[in-house]
Amino acid sequence: MVKGSCLCGAVAFTIDGPMRDVLGCHCGQCRKQTGHFWAATSVQDDALQFERQDGLSWFDASGTARRGFCKLCGSTLFWKPAGQARTVVSAGSLEPGTGLRLSQHVFVKNKGDYYQIADGLPQHMEFSGVENV
Amino acid sequence: MFKGSCLCGDVTFEVDGPLRGKSSACHCTQCRKQSGHHWASANVASDGLHVTGEVTWYEASSVAKRGFCARCGSFLFWTAHDEDQISFSLGCIDGPTGIKLDRHIFTADKGDYYDISDGLPQS
Repeated sequence: MVKGSCLCGAVAFTIDGPMRDVLGCHCGQCRKQTGHFWAATSVQDDALQFERQDGLSWFDASGTARRGFCKLCGSTLFWKPAGQARTVVSAGSLEPGTGLRLSQHVFVKNKGDYYQIADGLPQHMEFSGVENV
Repeated sequence: MFKGSCLCGDVTFEVDGPLRGKSSACHCTQCRKQSGHHWASANVASDGLHVTGEVTWYEASSVAKRGFCARCGSFLFWTAHDEDQISFSLGCIDGPTGIKLDRHIFTADKGDYYDISDGLPQS
């Protein structure tokens, strides 16, 4: 069982199920929303249980997915692809000790010019092919 | 001069003034929760930032407030109450910035799922 929350606590949740390795996403949408780039795992919807969601709001940036955040504190939390029974969850929202590791970088074609990716992990111009887990 | 915006475009801003201090990647728990990973920003005098649109502010502590767009959730700004400068998200700048991150800060609070390996100073 893993716990997560936004900064103010108005969105709090647990995850009880398999979690995908963390991907770093450098796409333009993730960079705008997070202020840098995003790191997230992915879980099946039935593994995600909300303890609080009074702050939860969704923004539809693309028509193919919605982005979940806390409207009270501005925390980036979720990415929900249409037609799939999974939710992508911010790694930064989770309590430590998950055992998860950042494993790959995706959409590096859109990365910012002000930082380097120097961790030696695989980099993909767009998708890596392991997203849909 | 830098131009930036949130994801939905409701908030736009221009940075018109010299950058102050160092550009930083912040790994504190508050920035990690709000950004979903960690946060990268640069600093400008408060009167050098011109914002259009509605910024919502959240005070996670008594020393500073955090600005975001309540429509799309983009994390935009951070400013301390006792300083006349503001930090703006580097990820929200449109186009090339020409900026290079100078350092990582609050690395004692960094997440356990990633390493910092770019060789920049850490504190």
